[in-house]
Amino acid sequence: MTEFKFLGYLAEICGRKSLGISLENPRKLRDILEVEFPEDRSIVVINQRVGNFDSLIRNGDKVVIMPMISGG
Amino acid sequence: MKGNLGKILRVNLSDGRISKEEISEEMRRRFLGGRGFAAKILWDEVRGVDPLSEENKVVFSTGPLTGLPLPSSGKMVIASKSPLTGGYGDGNIGSMAAVHLRRAGYDVLIVEGRSEIPCYIAIEDEEVRILDARDFWGKLTFDAQDKLQTKHGRNTGVLVIGPAGENMVRFANVISQRGRAGGRPGMGAVMGSKNLKAVVVKGTGTIPVFDGNRLREMGKEGYREIKGKGNYDFWIRQGTMQAFEWCNENSCLPTYNFREGAFRFSKRLDGYALEKVKVDRKGCPLCNMQCGNIIRDSENRDSELDYENVGMLGPNIGIDNLREVGVLNRMADEYGADTISLGSCLGFLMEASERKLIDPRIEWGDFEGCKKLIEDTVKKKGLGKIVFEGVQKASERVGGGSRDWAMQVKGLEISAYNCHACPGMALSFGTSPIGAHHKDAWVISWEISTDRFSYSQEKVEKVIELQRIRGGWFESMTTCRLPWVEVDFGLHWYPKYLEAARGEGISQEEISELGDRIYALIRSYWIRENGGWSRERDYPPSRWFEEPLRQGDLKGKRLDRARYDEMLSQYYEIRGWNEDGIPRKESLEGLGLDDVALDLGKDD
Repeated sequence: MTEFKFLGYLAEICGRKSLGISLENPRKLRDILEVEFPEDRSIVVINQRVGNFDSLIRNGDKVVIMPMISGG
Repeated sequence: MKGNLGKILRVNLSDGRISKEEISEEMRRRFLGGRGFAAKILWDEVRGVDPLSEENKVVFSTGPLTGLPLPSSGKMVIASKSPLTGGYGDGNIGSMAAVHLRRAGYDVLIVEGRSEIPCYIAIEDEEVRILDARDFWGKLTFDAQDKLQTKHGRNTGVLVIGPAGENMVRFANVISQRGRAGGRPGMGAVMGSKNLKAVVVKGTGTIPVFDGNRLREMGKEGYREIKGKGNYDFWIRQGTMQAFEWCNENSCLPTYNFREGAFRFSKRLDGYALEKVKVDRKGCPLCNMQCGNIIRDSENRDSELDYENVGMLGPNIGIDNLREVGVLNRMADEYGADTISLGSCLGFLMEASERKLIDPRIEWGDFEGCKKLIEDTVKKKGLGKIVFEGVQKASERVGGGSRDWAMQVKGLEISAYNCHACPGMALSFGTSPIGAHHKDAWVISWEISTDRFSYSQEKVEKVIELQRIRGGWFESMTTCRLPWVEVDFGLHWYPKYLEAARGEGISQEEISELGDRIYALIRSYWIRENGGWSRERDYPPSRWFEEPLRQGDLKGKRLDRARYDEMLSQYYEIRGWNEDGIPRKESLEGLGLDDVALDLGKDD
């Protein structure tokens, strides 16, 4: 199972806060989600390491997509 | 040059003298306004004094954009020699007082001396009076604001201290509009030491600008752009509280006195929990992205929450009920005590209790105990006697190795971001010019988006870049940085606003030089007032180096002291400071601070 989390307003863009799916083969993140995120204002973290929307996601990965916030 | 009014109002509370002085063209060019003016004034006028003596001064300073019809311009800086840190201290506050001060014809108010009886300053355009405040002394900030506005009218700006400031609690701040707060390194205590309860301002004039029509048009465009941003609606719902879930996910949430970075009960406190209990929002003048979230607290009173106060008065002390956090936050605002320092002091006492270093005991999450502790801190009694001067002093009293987990830098408590796994943000806290505060350079998003765990020169350069823009430029214009940093409002607007306001824009090079000049001046102030410097004063507490996170996705992570030290050396080198963190003579001279170089008497 691959786990996805979406934080902040990005959760509203994709209509959910989390998602769990099984991947038979590695796939690019953008091909899995098919959601138009504001990529220049988003951070992709895969298993606690930075990735991007072209990163290959493997089954069992933990993926967090979050906005670039600025801490007040 | 327009934009600034070019005038300082000076009020001496010892002898009642009131004077008005010109601000030189050179000062306007070199220091812009706000923080720049405040740092220059304190450097020139406040030397070697006890911060709570009548020789200290409080500087209320606006900038060339303050109060103009453009996004989030209702801000001012309040600065003084800090009684919490012994160095330069300031904080910005959103208040109608900032707008009125400019409309009354002043950029800066300097208050000096000490009144024999409680007093307040009433400014109405040219008329400036020192009035008897004995009827207001002892009042909570909300009551005092109401009473002062009953007397002087609703169309005024009020800056007021509460009992914490009156009792000179070292992290007492200044409150306005029932919940706006500023000056966390003890500016409220300095006002209290002067027997100054409040400043009430009414200005009826017009702020002169270079091109009013263009400014108004561009201001409207700016407001429209902000409203059209993709995350605007979400921001309006959660404001800075959007950071709660984000920080918890990234192990940056201050939890149990910064021991951990994620809180088991975070969903009870996060932005979505907030939305369920939110009843209103409010904010600063001239802002269309108000960040104050109003909730009804567990005592059925209104409380204005943001991320910092929920972080520090929630997970940092083990409280998992948002309405209870609301009570503690409201108490802090009414007493006029900084919520960040207060939350750190409470967390410090809880950990000291857990380690059996103090008696009586206070448990994590003890809401009623926290209420009593807040009262005791403000009144400097019981356990409050340990922490009313902040956690650095508290650790000296408590001993038992508590210095390692007294969460401060330079005496100022760390704001609500755990840095066990954020080296860049740790450097930002370590080098912030007022002690550990986030306003100058908040770099966590950037470092997570690049290489979170690295200690690179690129990261050092990013911290400095943000310090120049946020800590130098925005603090001196003086407008709120949140439109830019939170909803991605275009940074390119601000040189245009400056051009329309004063007839001159500002280049990228000038922004950098302004920030570097202000940073060098403030660093020099710390050195002069402390009689020297050592790089250890730019280190975050040992906890982040020595005690790994014990829970969460980043379990086991901690900072590497040697690599932090390398980044600090790179930071000094870029800034032109020596290995002890002291600005080199040629660096000061290169920034036009020849007099400062001469005064410090350092040639390397």
